[in-house]
Amino acid sequence: MQPVFEAHQLVKRYRDTLAVDGVDLVVHAGERVALLGPNGAGKTTTLMMLLGVISPDSGWVEVVGHRLPHGRSEALAHVGFSAGYMPLAERLRVREFLRTYGELYGLESPFERIEEELERFHIGHLSSTMCTELSSGQRTLIGIVKATLHRPRLIVLDEPTASLDPDVALRVRTGLRDVCRDEGSALLITSHNMLEIERLCERVVFLSGGRVIADDHPDAIAKRFGRDDLEGAFLHLAGGHGQMPLPQETDRPA
Amino acid sequence: MSSGSLSWIRVRAIARRHTYVLKRSPHRLFDVTVWPLVDVLLFGSIGAFVGQGGGSGEKAFGYLLGGIILWHVVYQSQISLSTGFLEETWSRNLLNLMVTPLKEAEYVAGVALFGMAKLVVGVGLTALLALIAYAFDVTDIGWGLLPIAAILLFVGWSIALFVIGVVLRFGSGAEALAWGILFAVMPLSGVFYPVEALPGLLHPVALALPTTHAFAAMRAILDGRSIPWDRVALAAVSAAILAGLALLFLTKMLGVFRKRGFISRYA
Repeated sequence: MQPVFEAHQLVKRYRDTLAVDGVDLVVHAGERVALLGPNGAGKTTTLMMLLGVISPDSGWVEVVGHRLPHGRSEALAHVGFSAGYMPLAERLRVREFLRTYGELYGLESPFERIEEELERFHIGHLSSTMCTELSSGQRTLIGIVKATLHRPRLIVLDEPTASLDPDVALRVRTGLRDVCRDEGSALLITSHNMLEIERLCERVVFLSGGRVIADDHPDAIAKRFGRDDLEGAFLHLAGGHGQMPLPQETDRPA
Repeated sequence: MSSGSLSWIRVRAIARRHTYVLKRSPHRLFDVTVWPLVDVLLFGSIGAFVGQGGGSGEKAFGYLLGGIILWHVVYQSQISLSTGFLEETWSRNLLNLMVTPLKEAEYVAGVALFGMAKLVVGVGLTALLALIAYAFDVTDIGWGLLPIAAILLFVGWSIALFVIGVVLRFGSGAEALAWGILFAVMPLSGVFYPVEALPGLLHPVALALPTTHAFAAMRAILDGRSIPWDRVALAAVSAAILAGLALLFLTKMLGVFRKRGFISRYA
């Protein structure tokens, strides 16, 4: 199967902190992959390198065959990104915000697509609302709609459901599964909600100390570390019982 | 910088995004309405007062009003591009933009396109008030006005690129430059007076600025001479060099921004 995303031996250091230490990662079309690890494990830095926002010290990233940084624009046309910590642009209504981003992703007349995607996540009624008047959960949903608007080959979500109640989180999971099934998009997601990852993803890549220390099906990872579920495996690995020492917290994205 | 051609759809999206923001923040029209009018009142009245004595005072009247109107080409183009970028940092929208296919040149083109509309309003108001209040018609400069205004437009954009580069490197603390940098450029550019009026020590700096030659060309035309193409050419060449240096600086600072993960300041 053709990889939509490939990272080879990514290394990133911030002064004295080695945030990412030789990460290899390949995501194939239609795969739903979770990138897990304790705070400071290197998840966000890895995602930022994938998106071309941070440049690696060494290693390379290729998205849908486009090597970064030279092919950044062509590559990112196939990627949708949203993060729980990302605010929406101020002073814009939801449809204006989505129109702007739809056009930035190359959709000449994105209104029909905007309506479809808002309905997919059951938030069509928010179309005329000012972005600043949305609840944090609604903002997260609009961010995800923005990320899926152009039917990307790869959807990248960083802590998307951190501020959502269980009902909305379920809507997000269902919507994302639908997008991946209907559009054949691959999903790369970080989360601290292990139950959510077990329900959504078929593969987990576990980072610790900036390195990949496990890469398998959620059940297989739990089994490998002698735990009942992914949360048990996470606590085991994050508690320093994995193959790598615990990373240091940094004030950098990691 | 990313390779390939520019996308008009993305340029238009950026221009429209800033139009939405302006529509909902009318106080941002201050830069294109109140300041230009205050400047014309100030310099027009000084010019009218000095001009009462006749002789070289009459010349000063034209220099002051012509100077302030054309200075607003530099001011409006610089401030609209710099604050357009600063808006992305204020609303923490930078990461949203950086993860799209938007190219740096498309972003600059989009904000500059939006800024052109503000410039037309701002400079138009100064010219109109100068005509109504002081009977000074800037179009009397004639066709020479066009190359001079075009050069000043590029100078404003180049200074804005430099400001954006500094903000990328040093963070929002450096944003005061967006408003302050022109206070340093203005006296050195001989906007209202020949460069010889400056202290001798500053002559080399002044002569290196494209604005100095552009305003000298304006004064020559106001004095009734033909368009001094040598000064216009000098202004154009130095403006091109300035634009090249500003682009190089911005590209370098963007590289540092990506290398050192400065996006964490805005996300």
